[in-house]
Amino acid sequence: MKTLRRPQFRFGLLVLVPILVWYLWFCFRPVFLGLQMAVIDYKLLDPSNSPFVGLQHFNMIFTQYELFWTAAKNTLTYAALMNLGMVPIALIFAYCLAHVSRGRVVYQWALFLPVVVSMAAVALLFRFLMDPGVGLFNHVLRAVGLPPSKWLTGSSSAMYSIVLVALWKELGGTIVLLTAGLLGIPVGIYDAAKVEGANAWQVFWRMTFPLLGHTLKLVAILVTIGSLQVYTSVVILTSGGPARTTYMISQFIVEEAFTHFRFGLASSAACVLFLVILVVTLVQLQLSKVRWEY
Amino acid sequence: MKTLILLIGTFLATMPFIWMASASVKTFKEVVSSQRLLPAVWTLANYRDILERVGFLQAFFNSALIAVPATIAVVLGSAAVGYVFAKYHFWGKEVLFRLLLSTLMVPFTVVVIPLFLTIRDLGLINKLGGVLVTSLCSTFGIFLMRQSIETVPNDYLDAARVDGASEGWIFRQVILPLARSSASALAVFTFLGNWDNYMWPSILLKSQGQQTLPVVIAGMQSLFVERYHLWAAGSMLTVIPVMLLFTLAQKQFISGLSMSGLKG
Repeated sequence: MKTLRRPQFRFGLLVLVPILVWYLWFCFRPVFLGLQMAVIDYKLLDPSNSPFVGLQHFNMIFTQYELFWTAAKNTLTYAALMNLGMVPIALIFAYCLAHVSRGRVVYQWALFLPVVVSMAAVALLFRFLMDPGVGLFNHVLRAVGLPPSKWLTGSSSAMYSIVLVALWKELGGTIVLLTAGLLGIPVGIYDAAKVEGANAWQVFWRMTFPLLGHTLKLVAILVTIGSLQVYTSVVILTSGGPARTTYMISQFIVEEAFTHFRFGLASSAACVLFLVILVVTLVQLQLSKVRWEY
Repeated sequence: MKTLILLIGTFLATMPFIWMASASVKTFKEVVSSQRLLPAVWTLANYRDILERVGFLQAFFNSALIAVPATIAVVLGSAAVGYVFAKYHFWGKEVLFRLLLSTLMVPFTVVVIPLFLTIRDLGLINKLGGVLVTSLCSTFGIFLMRQSIETVPNDYLDAARVDGASEGWIFRQVILPLARSSASALAVFTFLGNWDNYMWPSILLKSQGQQTLPVVIAGMQSLFVERYHLWAAGSMLTVIPVMLLFTLAQKQFISGLSMSGLKG
């Protein structure tokens, strides 16, 4: 192994020291503080005199805060619906995109357009489209003879409306991953199937689908991790309403901390979210170690 | 069949934008009464209202003041750190790299409270600098640039060193040009990420005149309740620059996106 000579040593220090200081201050210390704040009664004006309270905050959110359970239930429902909607739809588009001969760049451009624009603008746009009175969606429903929906303002339809907006916005990202996975399958195996006389349907279910299994698991986990943190879309589309039917865990954390200044409660909820996401991430790391053999 | 499905997808993905563009040049009366795509009366008054009443230009400028420096810092910083991790050998290198990568597992919601207090201690609440300082490094960027720079042959570096080149010169003249494609993917990705970010700026920037574009746009829903013609004009102005950038840099963006599957 070559050792570092003087100029490399100096350049390396010059680069690494500022980066490490940044990481220490804006990554590692906040994580540590976040864990600490969950077990102390943080005094905003006199932080050094915050008393240690142990697991009291966890006990409170678990047993006295119905709002926490509402948020947890909503967030899990949202993550499940996102997976159910995202994976099949993205798979259909990715399959078409991988096997179309002309115009791929144009289709890609259109399908990814929603991914690049800001969620704030998209949320405003869909509040307009989903307006029960003057919105385009209800015009279309009436035109084809279906009853209009209350969309974001109905307590039974709000969650589905939010999922619909998120699917429209984020589908492109999943399509990229799946298309890359599909194009990574060697063409040779398809030729072999053709020689054996397999039809397109058989080829998809017996060969493409199992070979794509690893990518599909990865996608499901990325969708889950993203969905568990959902914030912007919900805050702008419904602010968690109506009647808290779309109230999510991130909104709980932000409101407890920055509206009610209950930092300890908010931090303990954040720790619970961290733990859940950590488990999902560890599952992902375990999965991505498995290299698929063709 | 495949083409048909893709055409339907294209229609569904673009239709909301077309409807928004149409509403942005309609009068309020027409937006709430007519369902025709083309307006009966064309007007640019909505855009004038947005520019005059919302402080839109200030917000645009604020967003640029965060996104541009953050992008430059992330690309140069990630390339330099990536170079050090890819080409230098030192004690504890892999442990350190893994430690940095482990921060990808921490969701932003989890650190938002301590990060807010850190920014408060630095006196940067309600200042653009508070948002900027937390966006200066990117773990994903470091990972990406290390991967890319590892493919640069060591012979190039040794040849330059024999000729007496300094490490800074090698970084600028050899590493950066050879890692150009990854660096531009990272640049597009970072710029859009910062430009579109809502959560952190909305928590940190409370006073008018300091807010970024997404925060100002989101604020229109309470400022102009159900004035959809104004929402449409404001959203158009937010979305058009991003669409232009995406159209010009589609390839870089999509390669950045497909690599982002590796983070998580």
